[in-house]
Amino acid sequence: MTITTNLAGKKAFSHRPATTNIETVLTLAGGAALAIYGALRRDWFGAALAGSGGYLVYRGVTDLRRPYQGRVREAFTINKSRLEVYDFVRNPDNWGASLREPKFEHDGQNNVTLRFGNEDGAEFSSRVELTDEKPEDFIAWSSDDQMIEHRGVVRFKQAPGDRGTEISIALEYKSPTGPISNALAALAGLHPEQLVREGLRQIKQLMETGEIPTTEGQPVGARGISGTTKRVLYHERPAIEMQPEQRLAGD
Amino acid sequence: MKALCWQGKNKVEVERVNDPVILNPRDGIVRITRTAICGSDLHLYDGYIPTLEAGDVLGHEFMGEVVETGSEVSRIKRGDRVVIPFTIACGQCGFCKKNLWSACDNTNPNAWMMEKLYGYSGSGLFGYSHMMGGYAGGQAQFVRVPFIDVGAVQIPDGIDDEKVLFLSDIFPTGYMAAENCNIKPGDVIAIWGCGPVGQFAIRSAFLLGAERVIAIDRLPERLKMARAGGAEVINYEEVDDVITELKWMTAGRGPDACMDAVGLEAHGTGVASAYDYAKQRLKVAFDRPTVLRQAIQACRKGGVVSIPGVYGGVLDKIPFGAAFGKGLIFKMGQTHMHSYTGRLLEHVQKGDIDPSFVITHRFSLDEAPEAYRIFRDKKDECIKVVLDPWQEPIAA
Repeated sequence: MTITTNLAGKKAFSHRPATTNIETVLTLAGGAALAIYGALRRDWFGAALAGSGGYLVYRGVTDLRRPYQGRVREAFTINKSRLEVYDFVRNPDNWGASLREPKFEHDGQNNVTLRFGNEDGAEFSSRVELTDEKPEDFIAWSSDDQMIEHRGVVRFKQAPGDRGTEISIALEYKSPTGPISNALAALAGLHPEQLVREGLRQIKQLMETGEIPTTEGQPVGARGISGTTKRVLYHERPAIEMQPEQRLAGD
Repeated sequence: MKALCWQGKNKVEVERVNDPVILNPRDGIVRITRTAICGSDLHLYDGYIPTLEAGDVLGHEFMGEVVETGSEVSRIKRGDRVVIPFTIACGQCGFCKKNLWSACDNTNPNAWMMEKLYGYSGSGLFGYSHMMGGYAGGQAQFVRVPFIDVGAVQIPDGIDDEKVLFLSDIFPTGYMAAENCNIKPGDVIAIWGCGPVGQFAIRSAFLLGAERVIAIDRLPERLKMARAGGAEVINYEEVDDVITELKWMTAGRGPDACMDAVGLEAHGTGVASAYDYAKQRLKVAFDRPTVLRQAIQACRKGGVVSIPGVYGGVLDKIPFGAAFGKGLIFKMGQTHMHSYTGRLLEHVQKGDIDPSFVITHRFSLDEAPEAYRIFRDKKDECIKVVLDPWQEPIAA
């Protein structure tokens, strides 16, 4: 089955399915061997072999030079039927605003916004098109975006046994950030892989329990210096130590 | 409200913090009437559990009165008297549906931390480090209880708090540990550690039909309590070798099941114990698996090693050859609380057991820092401490 994830007239990503390093190495080595053997035969058949060898080398080289910077694969099992999961995920109104961070907004016209923090917080907008879709099976998308290009597939599969639905996301993205900003993003929980994993996890939690478990806003004692600095690591928002109004539980 | 906060290794303080509020629709708020210090709180106190931070409210054994419920709570009502299990479970994920409550998929908001360390994350726990969910604990005057409908055990009037308080952790933990021993008629069970969980395990083993229980510890008051529960006892400081002693007492067969109710801060005698101590002090190991080694070595062929004691990290010098050679069965893990609370409440109501036997000390919440010290240092024959969060300290 082929799933289309490229936008018409856009050459951001390779059109081929992702290949592993091993495949690339085999393609390069095999292509080179064929080309050399073909060239040594010095006949028409040899020329044909050399031609296909050359094509394999070309494929291998373009694999190596593919312009993506990262891939993410995450999967969860949700204890609901395939139809329920598909219907829930297909409409971001069901879950976009409930996510802990970032909030996921969709204007119904292909514009998607990820919002970090509160109303004034940082936001990242992207124009997204659904490129292919089959109900209860998969949804594929691609972005038409300058800063971070991304595209991918959400798939829905019945889990073995009586375990509900396996939902998976595979996406690739190309971002202008380098290794240092990537590491910093990972520390703050903002690396694409973390965002996708935690987003999916929260969708699972919402579907199974009706809420996203949290500790944000619970009582906490004096954090001290080390505890305060580690708040970034725990994704704990400041200011819960010192809410102004004291109230008695039960009032 | 007043709450007991961890402030670093060997340091806990009673602080004034905000009252908890409902954060999610399935939350409830409980006004705590009794709470206890658990042996596993001492691992926190001693600084052995990673991702615990200054300011975290401790405590996972508590009960009280429901004072507020979220919009989606239906079974539990305001005014209900409840005991809260220390593991938090959603009741709807695949694991909860299979009664593996402490493996709940959904209740740990910091699941990613535990996934990094353990591969997958268990359920959230009250007051037990950020890795285990970071939920504020119950050594406080109020507590917020997520998924209160799923966990809370309603307590009918007429039963004393102290008789049911331990349904929150140690009684079900001791019971599940005994159940994990696969007890059959005529079985002899050896239990290392006569702390509160060990005491409940001894009594649970008899409830489940064990013929004999052999309890191992070094503190006379704990051995005395074990004997009162019907166990034969070994003071490991007074015998040459626990394993030989067990072999002798079981006429060469070995115990049918061996239980490690001690966990990562085991004491012991001899070289192996000193080696574990040194490694833990040098911070190259979290755990001191002295008891686990003995339990594996002592267990009969084809027997069960049941481990309710807490371990945290990567253990070494575990006699795995012995475990393989004898075909041992290992059973362990956080207690699947929700499977046991109802059943054990019935045992208490029928009078089969009065769990308050284990209590030796009662304090107000303000005296909790002192209580931690006494309990940790096993001073004053202390076995189990219960705290009243509303009692004014007598000395104040």
